[in-house]
Amino acid sequence: MSEKPVLIIDGHLDMAYNALFYRRDLTQPVHVLREREDPVRRGISQHADSLERRKGIDDKHYTVTVTLPEMRKGHVGIMLSTIMARVMAPSVASHNSVRTQGTAYARGQSHLHYYNALAREGEITFIKNSADLDACVESWQNPTPETPVGLILTAESSDPILGPDQVQEWWDAGLRSVSLTHFGANTYGHGSGTLGGLYPPAYPLLDALKDVGMILDLTHAADLTFWQILDYWDGPVHASHCNCRALTPGQRHLSDEMIKAITDRDGVLGMVFAEQMLSPTWSWDDPTTHYTTATRPMKSVVEHIDHICQLTGNADHVAFGTDLDGGYGKELAPTDYNTIEDLQRFPSILEENGYNAEDIDKICHGNLIRLFKNNWS
Amino acid sequence: MSDKRPLIVDSHLDLGANAIQINRDLLQTAASVRIHDAEPVMRSFGSCTVTFPELRKGKVGIIFGTVMSRLDSNDSWTRTGMWCQAQCHGVGRGHLAYYQALEREGVLRFIRNTKDLDDTVTAWDDPAADTPLGLVLAMESADPILDPDQVPEWYDLGLRMVSISHYGVSAYSHGTGTEGGLLPTAKPLLDAFKEVGIIVDLTHTTDQAFWEILDIYDGPVAASHHNARALTPGQRQLTDEMIKAIIERNGVIGASFDSWMLDANWQREVACYNQTSGATLETVVDHIDYICQMAGNTNHSGIGTDLDGGFGQEQAPRDLNTIADLQNLPAIFERRGYSETDINNILSGNWIRLLKEVWAS
Repeated sequence: MSEKPVLIIDGHLDMAYNALFYRRDLTQPVHVLREREDPVRRGISQHADSLERRKGIDDKHYTVTVTLPEMRKGHVGIMLSTIMARVMAPSVASHNSVRTQGTAYARGQSHLHYYNALAREGEITFIKNSADLDACVESWQNPTPETPVGLILTAESSDPILGPDQVQEWWDAGLRSVSLTHFGANTYGHGSGTLGGLYPPAYPLLDALKDVGMILDLTHAADLTFWQILDYWDGPVHASHCNCRALTPGQRHLSDEMIKAITDRDGVLGMVFAEQMLSPTWSWDDPTTHYTTATRPMKSVVEHIDHICQLTGNADHVAFGTDLDGGYGKELAPTDYNTIEDLQRFPSILEENGYNAEDIDKICHGNLIRLFKNNWS
Repeated sequence: MSDKRPLIVDSHLDLGANAIQINRDLLQTAASVRIHDAEPVMRSFGSCTVTFPELRKGKVGIIFGTVMSRLDSNDSWTRTGMWCQAQCHGVGRGHLAYYQALEREGVLRFIRNTKDLDDTVTAWDDPAADTPLGLVLAMESADPILDPDQVPEWYDLGLRMVSISHYGVSAYSHGTGTEGGLLPTAKPLLDAFKEVGIIVDLTHTTDQAFWEILDIYDGPVAASHHNARALTPGQRQLTDEMIKAIIERNGVIGASFDSWMLDANWQREVACYNQTSGATLETVVDHIDYICQMAGNTNHSGIGTDLDGGFGQEQAPRDLNTIADLQNLPAIFERRGYSETDINNILSGNWIRLLKEVWAS
């Protein structure tokens, strides 16, 4: 590879969720957070009034891999990062979901305003239109250690949007891509792990999303939801973080027909860097196939990229959508991955697998830039 | 049939934190929330006592609802403390957004000025089943305010009362459980509060910070949820001199319903489900009476329960099941010889007076 690092756009990160739920100060290097979160150092509060206890996650710890300094080191200069809140029935297992849509709105706003505070400090910069995008890409041609990371704001689950009349407010705040659903059935329809389609409130919401020019993210749609959306929606689509069902079993992934349906509309698919999305033996729908330590290296992501490129006959529809630290940590990330800086090693992995420089640029940043610029022109 | 019971104002409730961090649906009855809370939630935060149906049942028509997030990287107690102010800002705006979502649903309405306050008081004179509760936005620890320049923005969002610290050391001051005073950042923040007319809440200050604030800040003050140290020892309570100072500044002191602040024998290191509170509603009235005796009138005491503020029914006065039981207070006051005017002053009038005075100036 050339000496000059390649600009990488990560199409799916849950930064605010990490900052507010796991109390991670993402302006710090990863090693600082790991030290803070060391099981011995952090201990578990022995007092009854402890968050670990109430969440029931005493024994679960996900080792942090994504912070802003590491992103800068790896030239991950632009991210799609979420507001993430979903309505789900009460249970300890769903400790990161909420009870009511009003609470989902509140949690979504807390994520938005965390990003606003980071933008105020100059750590990140919001990308809301083509000019912002051009300027950010330009700034990453010759970045300094202080160059802000560009943020395209996305929503994973539309529960934080309280109704069609609130879409404009979210758009003005910077929201540019939304998935209607996440895990479970929410206000608008059925998501991952459930069977069913859209609920009636989805349709007026889709109309309002279309009006402002939102891109629809088909990730986390149940199969029926997926096809019902495509029947109704003629606006732009992508799948921010989805791998191939042909290679990894389970409803969470995209069938070949789904991949074609998205690429036919010039959508882009973001590749997830999680063991559970890369392993041929791990099925989302069958908990007995789940395990806790990764077995697959980064180059196994290339299998999914190859599959999509073969289906479409080009490299115009694949991107990163790593979802790193999105409910898992280093434990289930690729075996040769330590922090998000390591994404910068991926261009050479692609090169070793026969991708030319032009294709590598497309996958690392070009396709997502095209997706948004086409939509914002 | 009209509701002749007195209106109650509660000057400190962490509803946003209950909805978002504890993950409770506050539109349900307390009984329903208790059923739905997971066992670890019950164990950590106790049994729910405050929801909107319970507030309505108790005619608690006006509440000060908080935005609550603090810097506290050494927080081994609750582990809600944050590492940087951007995190606090995010959490705080989330609490605000929760109240905004409830306003959209018609559950509550923000009280931002005298007219809003008058309208709410009138509506609660004889409330309907769906009369919105009035919400005065308050903040516990000023960490969500990134700097003094941001104070006008928060004021426009509805913020009307702020304590600059909580537990630990905030970006502006030492708070409960620490020793020390204001940090250099406090003065510009207090100046900005004075400029827009935000009440400084002296609850959760250290002794040193308490007096430093009174020295450098001549705007309106109050203590939203605070009891008397003479009756319950400990830094968390107000000394006689502090009570006098607040009275002299025409402030109001809300009586807190946390057994740790009412019962000298309450053991903080023992889980609430392994001990019985020595406090009852009578104990709360003892604290209120102490302040009234000191003032020589009933113009400076209020109700600032802090119910569900990190503790539940197990750590509340033991004859209180939900916040609706605040309506048992009038009879206790009556037995102790308080007039109807006195009772109304304490239950609602004093907070209403303070807000009106601040907003008139």
